[in-house]
Amino acid sequence: MNYKRLLAIAALLFPLMVHSESILAIGIYGLLAATLAVSFNLIFGFTGQLSLFHAAAFGISAYTTAILVTRFQWGFWTAILPAIALVAVLAAIVGTICFRFKLREFYFAVVTMAFAELARLIIMNWNDVTNGTLGMTLVAKPSLGGMAIDSSVAWYYLALGLLAVTYLVCAKVVSSWIGRCLEAIRLNDALGESLGINVFAYKLLVFVLGSVLAGLAGSLYGFYTGFIEPNYLSITHSLDIVAMVLLGGIGSLFGPIIGAFVLIALPHVIDLGAEIRIMLYGGILIFVILAMPGGITGIRSRSKHAA
Amino acid sequence: MSQLVIGQLLNGAIVGTLYAILALAVTLTFGITGIVNFALGAFMMMGGYLTWYAHDSLQMPYAIAVVAAVVAVGVVGLVTDLCLFRFTRNNLVNGLLVSIGLISIIEAGVLIVWTATPKDLAYVLPGVIEAAGISAPKIKLVVFALLLLVILGTYLALTRTWTGRAAFAYAQNSEAAALMGVNTAALESAVMVYSAMLAGLGGALYASLYSLEPTLGSAFILKAVEAAIMAGIGNAIGALAGGVILGITEGVGSIYLPIAFRDAYGLVFLVAILLVKPNGLFGGKS
Repeated sequence: MNYKRLLAIAALLFPLMVHSESILAIGIYGLLAATLAVSFNLIFGFTGQLSLFHAAAFGISAYTTAILVTRFQWGFWTAILPAIALVAVLAAIVGTICFRFKLREFYFAVVTMAFAELARLIIMNWNDVTNGTLGMTLVAKPSLGGMAIDSSVAWYYLALGLLAVTYLVCAKVVSSWIGRCLEAIRLNDALGESLGINVFAYKLLVFVLGSVLAGLAGSLYGFYTGFIEPNYLSITHSLDIVAMVLLGGIGSLFGPIIGAFVLIALPHVIDLGAEIRIMLYGGILIFVILAMPGGITGIRSRSKHAA
Repeated sequence: MSQLVIGQLLNGAIVGTLYAILALAVTLTFGITGIVNFALGAFMMMGGYLTWYAHDSLQMPYAIAVVAAVVAVGVVGLVTDLCLFRFTRNNLVNGLLVSIGLISIIEAGVLIVWTATPKDLAYVLPGVIEAAGISAPKIKLVVFALLLLVILGTYLALTRTWTGRAAFAYAQNSEAAALMGVNTAALESAVMVYSAMLAGLGGALYASLYSLEPTLGSAFILKAVEAAIMAGIGNAIGALAGGVILGITEGVGSIYLPIAFRDAYGLVFLVAILLVKPNGLFGGKS
């Protein structure tokens, strides 16, 4: 518990101590990736549903926000609302289809992946609106309370705020009675159902909630980098999120944050060619699954048990 | 117009058999061992590159290059089974993720050795056959026939031989199969290796038709999984039908609809089939 509080304080003070723009940028990317990882872990780690729709939720929201701001001159914050509403509706539709038909494990993964790919294909080919494969450039910067968010420090705190909200929401869900229902569903959903748990409703709730949080991260990400492209919705991106969660520790609230930061920072810490990096990425994924099932946070709790 | 349609039908059927051989590999590994091996797409890509390397750089005759590539991919299949997949048997998601890690490693390896520039095999069998105003390259017909032969042969081996029946028994109940004298560990490895070799063969034949790129495996594995699920997992003839249906839909569909949506047909099929007939087009009730 203590080291988490320490890390939280360190995260708050980080921009005051570090003035390097590039390190701050890694911090911002790490925070946004961590938001994705924490929200994904709610669906995968706590409820046992391997959703490959997560990157799609991220990308759909990023695109919707961007289109409303650039083509309809909406303000950033007003544009976010319809964007996440759209993500919520789409996630509810996909979730209803999957859970109504009781698609499990591999089949759930494949169907969510199919919907994510369909979304990517539509965005990639709807040239008039989305600018197709070329992506969209976003020059507008949002402002908050009359203050423009255009410095790295401002973005850092915005991203930190989103991660904090995501973390607290997920922590609240997991520690409440809902969390215990989720655990029952993860371990044996047929048994859970027989005990009167509305498996369909809980799965849907978690899927929509997780996707909406990913959508928020997407909206911010697009405006922070100033560029969005259809690859945001790719399966590869979803799998990157899976890797972050596994590396950090599946089923741990805090683990995915560590996993996200390690995988985001790694290429910057060790300067490697793109191919070697991809190879290393795959190697880490395999190693973690086979040799460290609890991820990085798992090592700590295992050694605690041993002591 | 009708010639265009017939041409696309033919083309679709040929591409479809390429989907089908990979779908067969997917359906065998998943249906019998319970492992979803997405790396089969990467194995296919590897088979293609090795054939190209053996044929164009080592100057081997095409047929020998194909055999060498298939054997090499089989060895890779065996090594990955013994080192990786052996430990993910009882966890589907873990196996899936390990295979995805493996894809990264193989694709990056090919990128390092052979770069991203597309590779074209020197012509193996030039010339076309013309009949009734339709012309088809000879090599395409040979590949088509060869793939059909392998898929049907696999089906016969599965249904008619002791090993094939042992594999079915193992898929249904591994403990009972072991008690009946099936060497389950060897059988599992054999299935993994055979599937890898099927994928390698698909790649080796693909190399004689189209140019090779490191990402071709990822594109093909999705189509193969779609075809395998469409047909019903564990169904060898179904994998053939699923692959061909998918190939033909894409070929004929691209005449009438924007080509951009070619990749969407399989996805729509997949979702529709899983919802309406979860055991696949050719699956029984249960």
